[in-house]
Amino acid sequence: MQRLIRQHWWKALGVLILIYVFIAGMLIPLKPGITIVTPSSTRTGGELIIEVEGYNTNFDQAGDAVRMWLKMDDERSLQAKRVEVLGPTRAQAAFIIPEYLPSNQKVQDFALVIDNPVDGAAVRPNAVLVTQDSIDQELGKQTWQNDPLTDLSQRGGITFPFRNILGETIRNTYFHVSLWLAMMIIFIAAVVYSIKHLRGFNLDHDYWAAALTAVGLLLGGLGLLTGGIWAQYTWGTFWSWDIKQFTTLIALLIYLAYFVLRRAFPDEAQKARISAVYNIFAFVALIPLIYVLPRLTDSLHPGNGGNPALGGEDLDNTMRMVFYPAVIGWTLIGSWIASLMYRSSKIEEQLLENWEDSPTVD
Amino acid sequence: MKPANWIITALFFSFFMPLANAQSSSGDFMRSMGKMYVVVAVILAVFIGIVLFLVYLDRRLTKIENQINDHG
Repeated sequence: MQRLIRQHWWKALGVLILIYVFIAGMLIPLKPGITIVTPSSTRTGGELIIEVEGYNTNFDQAGDAVRMWLKMDDERSLQAKRVEVLGPTRAQAAFIIPEYLPSNQKVQDFALVIDNPVDGAAVRPNAVLVTQDSIDQELGKQTWQNDPLTDLSQRGGITFPFRNILGETIRNTYFHVSLWLAMMIIFIAAVVYSIKHLRGFNLDHDYWAAALTAVGLLLGGLGLLTGGIWAQYTWGTFWSWDIKQFTTLIALLIYLAYFVLRRAFPDEAQKARISAVYNIFAFVALIPLIYVLPRLTDSLHPGNGGNPALGGEDLDNTMRMVFYPAVIGWTLIGSWIASLMYRSSKIEEQLLENWEDSPTVD
Repeated sequence: MKPANWIITALFFSFFMPLANAQSSSGDFMRSMGKMYVVVAVILAVFIGIVLFLVYLDRRLTKIENQINDHG
């Protein structure tokens, strides 16, 4: 460890990885998506003309090849009778909505699927709500003319997924979510050093634990701040007392108390021992606060309230190629900062020792 | 606080103020380009946070240097 903190390769590696994360995370385009569909509701029977606004789409290049469907479920969909391209991101489509739908719901939601050879296929769930004046599921099934989604195109090149509401902010996965994972790694390292300290009462281990905890607190605080900024434009408010916001705030306050505790003890050995024990308790509290409690109730965060975390459509393989390096990058930068703090603690200790030995101390 | 520290603090506020204004008055700006500027704001916040930590570390080292000078 003493040699490692004087070496530069891992610090440079952290910086290089983060440069890659910034470049790839900001420059890789989003998949084409559908941002606005008007009108978003209609009644059965008659023609429905919708105006669609796309994101990152090239309707004008695709021209007549743009096709649209209203998708009711996995088996049933309606194809647009006419599609008129108004611009690269705007198009109009006309659908014939039958009198009766093969559904027993008063209001049936349809997803809009747009496909063209240039952009590939894009989906907007719950794009159009159709209200049935009278419900006859059997008649609806008999008269339904199905237009299956066929020959959907795939866009070439690497892209990040497009999500409604999120839009470009899906990139915050690399600058917000990764901070939390890096914080977790740093806190684990800190608790390992606290345990090491209790096994031999070596003050070096206490310096490491304090330095790593400070960096973990920095990453956690930045995680809360960046989460708030992100939430301002996706959830509506900076702070919504979401269960995960709340529990992580408590966890960070517990860690903040670690430093209050350290200041309370003038004796170095006593300070080191008690704060090591406290750090273990803080870590034991952190795990349920961050990973267990938010999963037990509804939360705005993905991965809570029953849905899988970091899975499926929120983190695809392209995003993983940037996300995991981001975690490693932030961890390395965090370790670098922690090593600087450790070294300054070490210098302070050595100075104190020298002055205690020399008779010139005032 | 030393004059240099006041300058640093003032610099940070000059960083923060446009951000705060952008959030309160012109939400349209932040929402333009598919909310790209939200990502920019997040990256800026992380950068400022790390710089503030550097300032803390800087002051700690200054304190150590002063101690060395005092003791000769």
